[in-house]
Amino acid sequence: MLRGLHSLETCTYNGMDMTVLERQQARLKWQQQQNYGVQNNNPIELCASSVPQIQGFLGSSFGSGQLVEMKKPEVYLGSDDFPKFVNLSVAGPEFSASKMDLVPPEAAADYCISRTSSCQMTAFQTAVMNEEREDVILKKMESTTGRESFNKRKVEAVQDDKCKDKRIKGEVEGESEVKTKCSTEVSRNSSKGNSKASEVQKPDYIHVRARRGQATDSHSLAERARREKISKKMKCLQDLVPGCNKITGKAGMLDEIINYVQSLQRQVEFLSMKLAAVNPSVEFNVDNLPAKEFPAYVANFPAAAKSPAMANLACLQFNPLQKAVSCMLDATGHPPQTATEGVASASISIPEQALSSSCITQLQPFSTWNTDPQGLYNVYNMGFH
Amino acid sequence: MRSPGSLKQEFLKKWIMGFQRCSSSKKSMSVLDRKKAIKLSADIAMASARKGTTCWSRALIASASKDGSDKHLVEQILGPESERLILMKKFSTGALVCSKRIRSKKILKRSCGIRRTRKCAPQAALASSIAKRLVRKRTQVLKSLIPGGEFMNEVSLIEETLDYIISLRAQVDVMRSLAIASELVNHN
Repeated sequence: MLRGLHSLETCTYNGMDMTVLERQQARLKWQQQQNYGVQNNNPIELCASSVPQIQGFLGSSFGSGQLVEMKKPEVYLGSDDFPKFVNLSVAGPEFSASKMDLVPPEAAADYCISRTSSCQMTAFQTAVMNEEREDVILKKMESTTGRESFNKRKVEAVQDDKCKDKRIKGEVEGESEVKTKCSTEVSRNSSKGNSKASEVQKPDYIHVRARRGQATDSHSLAERARREKISKKMKCLQDLVPGCNKITGKAGMLDEIINYVQSLQRQVEFLSMKLAAVNPSVEFNVDNLPAKEFPAYVANFPAAAKSPAMANLACLQFNPLQKAVSCMLDATGHPPQTATEGVASASISIPEQALSSSCITQLQPFSTWNTDPQGLYNVYNMGFH
Repeated sequence: MRSPGSLKQEFLKKWIMGFQRCSSSKKSMSVLDRKKAIKLSADIAMASARKGTTCWSRALIASASKDGSDKHLVEQILGPESERLILMKKFSTGALVCSKRIRSKKILKRSCGIRRTRKCAPQAALASSIAKRLVRKRTQVLKSLIPGGEFMNEVSLIEETLDYIISLRAQVDVMRSLAIASELVNHN
């Protein structure tokens, strides 16, 4: 293993401007020397894969896209992690001497990768974590599409380069946007995998966001929780606003929401204008209310809701009119008598009495008038769109 | 979740009450005045139906009671003075705190934004920054639409929007059926 590391060292150390292919070959050689399975090699390569190019390859296939574009992180691996490689080469035998027999080769590679991320974790923890990560990565490689796995690799690659964020900062900005879109997918996937791994993965994701100076995990976790809250609420809004089922993405959703709120506000304005115009006087409008309004609502609302409304109205006894209203609610079974009584007690003029009598006849066919609002609603909607 | 039926009833009740009080003060009004009175009483009724639990309702009531002419109406509708004072206090303190927070955030964003724009090169990053800009513009528009929205962060903005949409819908339904009712009455 030491030999392999040394060969890699020499390759990367000497040839900062080595071509991609040469570097690739060198790495492959090194990895083969480890007598390591192909499967475990890939995660390492992918961990090292660079961030920006992945965006170009989001839809592309897994292997070819990755292998070609690996220039930058390799530079990092060479420059940054070189000392770690060296350290590891020393620590390697010790490492293998310790209890983790199964992990040494991968731990060697992963150790240096994860070392940059969290120096606080012990070697054992990192090894375990990396192993789990790799397991999940492997699972993902098999099960999920290329895009999500790219994201996972991206995360790990970025984790490696935590110290040197300046070069690919801009790219990560864009990448994080892509990530937010995929994050819901990935979170679903991670929940499918074992919970331990998903908890471990959370810090991996959050590190991307945390790069701009938020080094601690708690901040990143809070941000992630906040983002999830927002997306949950956006989903609720999607159900509420009509016609939002097909739209994905924040901007489109916000657009629809804005349009809907504006249309509702406009409707309120329009209706208040209509009410003001239809009724010559405010009082008249109020007098009209009991005759027409409450039967409709009584029909619409469940019976249980009637009693609290009645009780509430009972305490609003300002006017004889209010009494009429409460009488109306009481006696839905006997609308004609009480309506005439109530209205008459309010001492209104003859036209209103005539109206009330006509209203009584109208009280019976609730169903017809409940359909009217629907038709008018359609008209309003057409008018407003 | 509150049932929409109870919300409508609550709204209607308060609206009628406010309307009557408004009409008792002024005998003859022009159409526009009437419309304003109707809309105002409807808005306040809707806001008070929430009983100060939501930010937009508090903001609505506070802005309505700032106006001298409508103040008395608001007082009448809301009932006891203490309730209104409590609501005003809540709103004002929240606004102060939030405006300070927003100002500091803006300063921070401005200082960081300069750094950010220098670095973005690839197309995807550009697209994402465009998307971010769009979202930001739209949240600003939404904030202007919702009463008291300027002082909220994203999460609470979406919550308030939800609540506001529900109340607006209820208001529209009540007003529409009232309009239909009065129309039918007038025709006959």
